[in-house]
Amino acid sequence: MYFQKKRCIAMLLAGGQGSRLKVLTEKTAKPAVPFGGKYRIIDFPLSNCVNSGIDTVGILTQYQPLELNEYIGNGQPWGLNKTHSCAQVLPPYERHDKKSGWYKGTANAIYQNIDFIERFDPDYVVILSGDHIYKMDYAAMVEYHEQNGASCTIAVRDVPLSEASRFGILNTNPDNSIYEFEEKPKKPKSTNASMGIYVFNWSVLREALISDEEDPNSSNDFGKNIIPNLLNAGHKMMAYNFDGYWKDVGTIDSLWEANMELLGKNPAFNIRGDERSKISARNNAFPSSYIDENAKTVNCFIAEGSEVYGIVRHSVISVGCTIGEGAVVEDSVVMPGVVIEPGAIVRHAILGENSKVCRNAVVGGAFGPKEKKQISVTSKGAVVEANTVLLPGEML
Amino acid sequence: MQVMGIIFANDGAVGALTNQRTTAAIPFGGRYRQVDFHLSNMAAAGIRRVGIISRHNYQSLMYHIGSGEEWGMELEEGGLEFLTPFSMSTTDSYHGKLETLHSAMSFLTYGPEDEYVVMTGSSILCNIDLNDVVASHIASGRDITIVTKSGIANGKKQLDLALKLDEQGEIADIAVDYMAPEGYLATMDIFVLSKKYLQEKVQEFIARNLFHMDRDLVLGQWQKGQLSVNVYQFKGAVLYNESVEEYFRNSLALIDRNVRHDLFGYNHTVFTKVRDRVPTYYGEYCEVEDCIIADGCILEGEVENSVLFRNVTVCQGAEVENCVIMNDAVIGEGAELKYAILDKDVVVRPGAKLCGTPTTPIIIPRGEIV
Repeated sequence: MYFQKKRCIAMLLAGGQGSRLKVLTEKTAKPAVPFGGKYRIIDFPLSNCVNSGIDTVGILTQYQPLELNEYIGNGQPWGLNKTHSCAQVLPPYERHDKKSGWYKGTANAIYQNIDFIERFDPDYVVILSGDHIYKMDYAAMVEYHEQNGASCTIAVRDVPLSEASRFGILNTNPDNSIYEFEEKPKKPKSTNASMGIYVFNWSVLREALISDEEDPNSSNDFGKNIIPNLLNAGHKMMAYNFDGYWKDVGTIDSLWEANMELLGKNPAFNIRGDERSKISARNNAFPSSYIDENAKTVNCFIAEGSEVYGIVRHSVISVGCTIGEGAVVEDSVVMPGVVIEPGAIVRHAILGENSKVCRNAVVGGAFGPKEKKQISVTSKGAVVEANTVLLPGEML
Repeated sequence: MQVMGIIFANDGAVGALTNQRTTAAIPFGGRYRQVDFHLSNMAAAGIRRVGIISRHNYQSLMYHIGSGEEWGMELEEGGLEFLTPFSMSTTDSYHGKLETLHSAMSFLTYGPEDEYVVMTGSSILCNIDLNDVVASHIASGRDITIVTKSGIANGKKQLDLALKLDEQGEIADIAVDYMAPEGYLATMDIFVLSKKYLQEKVQEFIARNLFHMDRDLVLGQWQKGQLSVNVYQFKGAVLYNESVEEYFRNSLALIDRNVRHDLFGYNHTVFTKVRDRVPTYYGEYCEVEDCIIADGCILEGEVENSVLFRNVTVCQGAEVENCVIMNDAVIGEGAELKYAILDKDVVVRPGAKLCGTPTTPIIIPRGEIV
């Protein structure tokens, strides 16, 4: 087979469980978690790649890959199914020398797929994760990387000092070169948080991965091992500032918030945007949605294939949902295929795919503006029985 | 047993809606084109070789269908084929379906494994199990199976082909272009024949200057006692979009739950070209009631009893009532629309008023600014 040389390819780490999403990732890998009515989290890095002119993406899967693999398919929704483009799913595999098996860490996952990368003989490799909602032009970052003659460039954003200890923090010189990397520091020296987006010269990364693999004490992780090792070895590493919308949707609260940030006349995250930064998704052939004469739809997203007979306020309703007559849905994220029966009330909730809220059931509650919102969650296919209550913050 | 399909894409004129497109390419139901229903019927029945006969204005249809991948027809062998007319001495002007079939003879002949042909027009929409129709055809042992819908004949609408059955269910009368009174069945422009029979008849008829499917093949042959007919009565929803008034009425008929569910999911999914849009945003002050709404819209005004295609913007203070609004329209602040069909890319200026009537909706052509 003939492989075209690529200047730049992307490797997308999509194998994590995302355990902080609790019941939502019991049966689904985090990157396959639905978002924004018709998308899944992985649509964002994948679409960003395509919009940045990166047409070769290796997708490393491990945890509960069935749905994710199915979703990626041949990459057609993102235009990655052409003769010289691909969205290649890379699961762990067995090798004759036993240097294989489950991906031990983010760096090991890439290490085990050196052969895949070599086929394209790339100058640069972009490492991405399937955890964030954002639109970003990776091409500009690669350009910056090249112009600075760096070995590695890390995308950073400014975070509030109070939150900085949750991130990998990069301490930089005035020219934006990195002199120190601290993983989740107790006393952060700066507020430059790593976004987990890296551009590497492939030759440098390749060597770093091989020597990291030889170290039995390494946890084979980019943040903990590869980045500090390269810094110590004196490689030129740059920070690339990004100040657009970017949200880690790794927790129930942040996933809910990110969905809510799509709403409003001037939303915090304008997913609509222009064609060049369009987020694509695999589409199901649902008919147009139907809004009944007794329905009320206020400040909400409603995707195709939904039928609304009840009241929807400040919520995201995904494809193929039914909101029954007299039902009320407020401040909630309703994932694909959910049925909310007549008379049910849903507030501050995330309803997992194909779950069902039966007649007159109550899910979640209302909160004052200063109260902490406790989000109720239903897992995929869960049923909230008629006339029962799922309390605020409860999961089913 | 293998079956091939033929779709006639130019199926008469539907007012201004067919000025720049075929009937097959008329947008319908928020995100579809009419041909989606016919292609999906065929795809669901496992038909993988489909010829689309299109005589003119077929650019938008070709763009819509592409390689046919949405219907699983992007095959190396078979798949979808556009049969555009050849200029032949006999085709100076269009005479009838048999003639177009004659010019598509090579497509009919190719694929020797196909035994049966399902033919359909493109202005009558339904969600039908064609396997059942073909099975009925084979079981009947008749020359041709004609699919009909009962109960539509009322003497108010001219039917292309009307049938009357006697008590035994055999044909008592056939009439062409007829204002049939009650008791006649309206055909749905879906026929099943064996490929061999169709090939023979097309050759035979063209040689004798007979061009019309309904008039010459069905009516003429039946009158001579040379055609045995199997009638398949379809019970689901059938939408006849043969005039602007019907198109308008049927578009709004989708608001009826039974019609909608019948057309979109009773037998199988209806597939269409994917145009990946964001979900529709309903604003703080919008009032949307009794509507069919596709993705990508921004709704800030009042919309009632209407069908909105993708990417329609209804600004605050605008009122839209009993309208069909195609892709990418922008309805300005305070505009008022009643009984109107807006073709694609129409801009309605703030404060403009457009009022049609239920029987004669106003049609605003593609790209106009009003």
